[in-house]
Amino acid sequence: MSIDQISEKQIKEYIDGILSGDRRILAKSITLIESTLKAHQEAARKILDRILPFTGKAVRLGITGLPGAGKSTFIESFGKMLTARGHRVAVLAVDPSSPRTGGSIMADKTRMEKLAVDPNAFIRPSASGGTLGGVARKTRETMLICEAAGFDWIIVETVGVGQSEVTVATMVDFFLVLMIAGAGDELQGIKKGVLELADALAINKADGDNIERAKAARQQYEIAFHLINPPTRIWTPPVLTCSALTMEGLDRILDVILTHRRKMTEHGELERKRKAQNLEWFWSLVREGLELWFFQDEEVKKNLMSLIKDIEEGTVSPTSAAEHILSRLRHISS
Amino acid sequence: MAEHKDMNKWRELAIKELKGKPLDTIFWQTPEGITVKPIYTWEDLEGLDFINTLSGMAPYLRGPTATMYTNQPWTIRQYAGFATAKESNEFYRKSLAAGQTGLSVAFDLATHRGYDSDHPRVAGDVGKAGVAIDSVEDMKILFDQIPLDKVSVSMTMNGAVLPILAGYIVAAEEQGVKQEQLSGTIQNDILKEFLTRNTYIYPPRPSMRIVSDVISYCSKHMPKYNTVSISGYHIMEAGANSVIEVAFTLADGKEYIRAALDAGLKIDDFAPRLSFFFGVGMNFFMEIAKLRAARYLWHKIVSEFNPQNPRSTVLRTHVQTSGWSLTEQDPYNNIIRTTIEALAAVLGGTQSLHTNSFDEAISLPTPFSARIARNTQLIIREESQVCHVVDPLGGSYYVEALTGAIIREAQKIMDEIESLGGMARAIETGMPKMLIEESAARRQARIDQGKDIIVGVNKYQIEEEVPVQVLEVPSTVREEQIARLKELKAKRDNEAVKRALEKITEVAEKGGNLLEVTIEAIRLRATVGEVSEAMEKVFGRYVAPQKLITGVYASEYGENGVIENIRQRTEAFKNKTGRRPRILITKMGQDGHDRGMKVVASAYADLGFDVDLSPMFQTPEEAAKMAVENDVHVVGVSSLAAGHKVLVPMLIEELKKMGGEDIIVIVGGIIPPPDYEFLYAHGVKGIYGPGTPITESATQVLKLLEEKYIP
Ligand code: B12
Ligand SMILES: Nc1nc2c(ncn2[C@@H]2O[C@H](COP(=O)(O)OP(=O)(O)O)[C@@H](O)[C@H]2O)c(=O)[nH]1
Ligand SMILES: [Mg+2]
Repeated sequence: MSIDQISEKQIKEYIDGILSGDRRILAKSITLIESTLKAHQEAARKILDRILPFTGKAVRLGITGLPGAGKSTFIESFGKMLTARGHRVAVLAVDPSSPRTGGSIMADKTRMEKLAVDPNAFIRPSASGGTLGGVARKTRETMLICEAAGFDWIIVETVGVGQSEVTVATMVDFFLVLMIAGAGDELQGIKKGVLELADALAINKADGDNIERAKAARQQYEIAFHLINPPTRIWTPPVLTCSALTMEGLDRILDVILTHRRKMTEHGELERKRKAQNLEWFWSLVREGLELWFFQDEEVKKNLMSLIKDIEEGTVSPTSAAEHILSRLRHISS
Repeated sequence: MAEHKDMNKWRELAIKELKGKPLDTIFWQTPEGITVKPIYTWEDLEGLDFINTLSGMAPYLRGPTATMYTNQPWTIRQYAGFATAKESNEFYRKSLAAGQTGLSVAFDLATHRGYDSDHPRVAGDVGKAGVAIDSVEDMKILFDQIPLDKVSVSMTMNGAVLPILAGYIVAAEEQGVKQEQLSGTIQNDILKEFLTRNTYIYPPRPSMRIVSDVISYCSKHMPKYNTVSISGYHIMEAGANSVIEVAFTLADGKEYIRAALDAGLKIDDFAPRLSFFFGVGMNFFMEIAKLRAARYLWHKIVSEFNPQNPRSTVLRTHVQTSGWSLTEQDPYNNIIRTTIEALAAVLGGTQSLHTNSFDEAISLPTPFSARIARNTQLIIREESQVCHVVDPLGGSYYVEALTGAIIREAQKIMDEIESLGGMARAIETGMPKMLIEESAARRQARIDQGKDIIVGVNKYQIEEEVPVQVLEVPSTVREEQIARLKELKAKRDNEAVKRALEKITEVAEKGGNLLEVTIEAIRLRATVGEVSEAMEKVFGRYVAPQKLITGVYASEYGENGVIENIRQRTEAFKNKTGRRPRILITKMGQDGHDRGMKVVASAYADLGFDVDLSPMFQTPEEAAKMAVENDVHVVGVSSLAAGHKVLVPMLIEELKKMGGEDIIVIVGGIIPPPDYEFLYAHGVKGIYGPGTPITESATQVLKLLEEKYIP
């Protein structure tokens, strides 16, 4: 891929490739989306605009849980179950770990060994590093491209330890939280905010000598979970058990997701949810863009330092300092 | 602890001799974290409860038998196998005639992983890294004219232990040798397969059941046969230091005891038939102390289970010198290394020994290199006069203190494993693997920057390497095996075979002894692959998840311009092209050597690459799919088991088919020098063999990328 401007002709090739389900071009389009170069991002935007009519038909499933809960294994088994039923599954991983000097290691596929080689599956691990906002944009756009390429299930995996799970929850139709029994008290440090967003909670690794513990945990969590996430008119978020290893309970989870979808569709909720998500996305892009634009301004950068010092020394009040720096906005815009 | 009365005086003298250097500089921190002092005294023996014990008696630290080599020297047991059963059989018979005293069979990787030679997943593996065995017909040829009631045979087989052990039993039966006459060893140590050796087939739990089925069958029918060879060798070769090796190996042993007890056996029924297998590397005194410490600790462990037979608590071991310590560069140096290691194994009191060939880092041994390796042992035995005294280093202040230190440190790790619920559970947590890999990454970083000196590799290099002979197994071996399989299937009673296989599936599902029913099927000429598949139906086929450490290589390397420079270049690449250089590191075929792949992956990430790691055992098509989907710039193939000439061209072909012709292909691992041209001609852009510093290969890969993407 050249680093120069990407021509209209190339863009058309990308679009045709995506729409015809060409795996190589799909992969390269995602690279464009992920690129830090302006020219690539611009090309990606153009591509997205034109494939938009072909998106939106997939089931969008988000999965979170603490490291080791079994997310990747779950996706392996669940994904295989879906492809066996004739679906085409795309898997995306969101992992905005703090940027470090080094690159990242992406070993996701070693845990999705069978799905990785399935011709009806497409798994794209993304390098970590970068801001949450950046990762969120990339994942959303990748999701759309995969839909246009004919994938009818999109599964997004995210580690449940930071902010990313909230972001993922706002881009999917169904948000599943995976837990394990007995790995600590109550709801295992999963933040309340995440549980509020969950459409279901599943206790994984309910197999072998762990079955009883998983069942007990299910009852225990149910009460706590419903306090945090009370039933609505349409949906009562269930607490389930499953085993990603033996596949026990996975068909039940599929049922739950499909029932949820049916009910949401019947009540017009799915459409509403997606519209709201789109607006939310729009607003977050605007906010992010504003911030970026503002803080990149040389004058702002310069003033900021001295203002902070003044506030610390107590020579200027925070209110007037803010007023002062924001007044710069008027100059930038004009 | 008291100090020698003249120690202060000694210190004064030492400081004077050091001419201003601090005394610290002559204390040595071993990789095990043990501090070795410049001098040891009688006082260092204080508190050690094994001083002044005797061989043949508890705690057996000084030797499992009273007389040791004064009465009977160790068994010279060279591990070998290649190509077809016929060729390996010839090799064995010649070796026995030339002074070898026991056999040790190396199977090819297809067999190890339970595939017949005609399986599509073994296109590059048949006969390459060991002998190809598909059925008892092959087994009979393998042992042709070798009397199995007289020659003890050791078989390194773990994953496909059932069809192979059954094949051995039936081959003996058809030679007229009864089961109770068979002496020898089957490795059957599945736990370390999950940890380091990677020739498992089924998931951990059913695999453990197979181990206890074997123990239980043999304890009834084969009283002279060693049913498990609990192996530290592979753990060491994957990167572990001596303390970790001892701790993990003995913890594995304890787990097998528990499994056998759970299966209803009594400790004395099987414990005397558990044997061990350790590695011995270049750290001379440490390795001697290690073998002594292991015997002490095993005695202690088994005693907790209240055996009545004292032989239950005795550790008997085979030793192999370290292959990892041997280099591709200036390879005749390896003869010297192996001699030192072999001597350590003997002074440590091993029961049998394999010495590596000097071409270890190039290919399987040639008849010439194999002879020198065997002679190394013969010369120690016949000429060095070390066999006249039992445990000759017993009483050495240093060796005794070191033995005590290993006992202490290994006990700590074993306690930690116990607290996790034993080794099987510990392996599930990933802890043991991480310890080994961290140790391997540190070692690599120290060698790459010349902190640990390897003669001929990072110091005293020679200008031009002398070419050595290479043993190449031709790809026609696979065709031969496939033809033999066809013939076998045409001749046998296929209905009877089908029923016998169904029986195996049933026993796998519902219980019963799997070895017993496997022997039935093998008699009827069922193949290794068919038997394995009959169980796979119930157990499934397993691929261990990979977790990788990061940061260790860079931190061990320390602040140093080399790393910084590469990081700046990966960063610059990103700024110019929109992303970091992205490399898929993959292993194709049944090659399970993952030490190199892991240190390279981990270090490349430290250097600023984005690294995709593929699952093991990929077909070229699967690897290509992953490369194309992840849209990597480079695929790096790590190939150590001689599959490269088949698999790498296939990969390049597949990449083309999938529109990934722009992806650069490089290869690392054991690539014999004569194969370089072949690979370049097929489109490979870089080859990095053993001893290549990771910083060096990374620099070259970056150069390829910069030329292509930032012209
Ligand atoms: C360690 C070792 C083992 C360990 C492996 C532990 C593990 N988890 O990896 C154990 C003891 C388990 C083992 C077992 C076997 N081994 Co072994 N093993 C070796 C040994 C001694 C060293 C390999 C090693 O790890 N070196 C250290 C690492 C860091 O080096 P490296 O992998 O070469 O990587 C470096 C470069 O090659 C390069 N590189 C490698 N890969 C890549 C990838 C990329 C992208 C890049 C850029 C660079 C790169 O960079 C690295 C840093 O310099 C070699 C001989 C030797 N001295 O090389 C034999 C050797 C590879 N083994 C051999 C054999 C036959 C086996 C067995 C198949 C025997 C049998 N029949 O049962 C078994 C089965 C293993 C299996 N499942 O495949 C043969 C292969 C013969 C051949 N190719 O013709 C060898 C060559 C020994 C010999 N001469 O007989 N083995
Ligand atoms: N027993 C059991 N183990 C599981 C199950 N799901 C995952 N695991 C194991 O748990 C570990 C972590 O799984 P992984 O999928 O990597 O978790 P993630 O970090 O949440 O993606 C692995 O060793 C899996 O084999 C399950 O359902 N049962
Ligand atoms: Mg995961």
